Amino acid sequence: MVRTDERLIDGAPMQPVRCLRCSATVQARKASWQQTSLQWNAEAAGACEERPAERGERFEACGALRDSVRAAAVEGSLEVPEA
Amino acid sequence: MSPTRSDHDTVRTIEAQELPTRFARGWHCLGLSERFGDGRPHKVRAFGRDLVVFRGGDGNLNVLDAHCRHMGGNLAEGTVKGNEIACPFHDWRWGGDGRCKQIPYSRRVPLRARTAAWTALDQDGLLFVWNDPEGKPPPEEVAIPRIEGAGREDWTGWYWNELVVDANCREVVDNVVDMAHFFYVHYSFPTYFKNVFEGHVATQYMNGVGREDVQPPSTSGSPKMLGNTSVASYYGPSFMVDDLTYHYEGMDVESVLINCHYPVDADRFVLQYGVIVRRGEGLEGEAADETAAQMAGYIAKGFEQDIEIWQSKARIDNPLLCEEDGPVYQLRRWYEQFYVDADEVTPEMVDRFEFELDTTRPVEAWRAEVESNLAQRAAESGTV
Ligand code: FES
Ligand SMILES: [Fe+2]
Repeated sequence: MVRTDERLIDGAPMQPVRCLRCSATVQARKASWQQTSLQWNAEAAGACEERPAERGERFEACGALRDSVRAAAVEGSLEVPEA
Repeated sequence: MSPTRSDHDTVRTIEAQELPTRFARGWHCLGLSERFGDGRPHKVRAFGRDLVVFRGGDGNLNVLDAHCRHMGGNLAEGTVKGNEIACPFHDWRWGGDGRCKQIPYSRRVPLRARTAAWTALDQDGLLFVWNDPEGKPPPEEVAIPRIEGAGREDWTGWYWNELVVDANCREVVDNVVDMAHFFYVHYSFPTYFKNVFEGHVATQYMNGVGREDVQPPSTSGSPKMLGNTSVASYYGPSFMVDDLTYHYEGMDVESVLINCHYPVDADRFVLQYGVIVRRGEGLEGEAADETAAQMAGYIAKGFEQDIEIWQSKARIDNPLLCEEDGPVYQLRRWYEQFYVDADEVTPEMVDRFEFELDTTRPVEAWRAEVESNLAQRAAESGTV
């Protein structure tokens, strides 16, 4: 059985953020300025331009998506709870 | 009295379902292949069954169900004859493909003389078996990656060890996301922590600094340890490859650490770990082997610390998390893919998920704790 992370219910929810480079939409959440959760789907993974083509190769982050999430947080479309 | 009870007035209860009745689909490492390669049968209990591992005369490592389909003799007590394992009870000869090849006292082998043969892989000095409750062969996509450095001149050989743990193996997998326990249980000091789950791979990125309030992981006279960089991935449910670099004053020590396990039963598993270290400047010849042996020692200590926790903790399906904890639920959602039939794996189990932890508060708290430990130590030794 797969359970839900209660932090998503009690704290900030996941919200859509669009990548400014590839236009893919992922679900993002920030519990603070330094914390980020990103839920991709297959479509977003397929659209990402930074992902290595090699399957199984480690890929820590898409830089363009990171910038997009930061921009969304700064501009307020992605909620960041007060410290 | 208030008419409704808010959530923080309700006592939180620990929930735990029954232990899973099936074992994870995936490649499982049984240990160093050389251990099984002496031409004798080896008994292994895994996946709730008794297995026999043997190397035939052709050099292949084979894994079969231990119990002979004739009258139930234990092949692990038998003898390797040619490419086959001979049962100690009536000498029936079983091949690595699971077929009975010969019954010396009979004119012919009966129909149905076939036992369970496990798909085995001998790679980078390690023996793997494929477990699939549905009995399908291993898909190409979940192949265990080659370990750069294994078997190479410029790296040490494996320093390998194993421990039996009386707990369900989910406990060890949870470590992937559990940053805080590294400070409290293992006396390390993480400063950066991120997880990425995608497909059958779950990765932990962790950087840390040395802790002055605990014994440094180097002998006196050797350079001071500044910190470490670790990228560790589970490839499937049980085999983790950790590219681990220790940063010392003036040099880096590169290593590959394997952390893997196989289930014995639902409530017991064999935990194994191995390390190889790159030889290089400042770490030539025996120095590299000494470092590897020393690292294996520290890893052993680390796992003993984990085991102490596991053996007295409760299994918990509903951990109560603060925002500075890692993505336990999302890890378990990923892990679930190995416990359902292949065609029941849902996108949420395998879609890419990233979680970067905010280490600001943990680092502040841990700095203060290290400071106070140092102050206390100084006060006790009377040097203040
Ligand atoms: S039980 Fe194995 S040969 Fe008879
Ligand atoms: Fe641990």
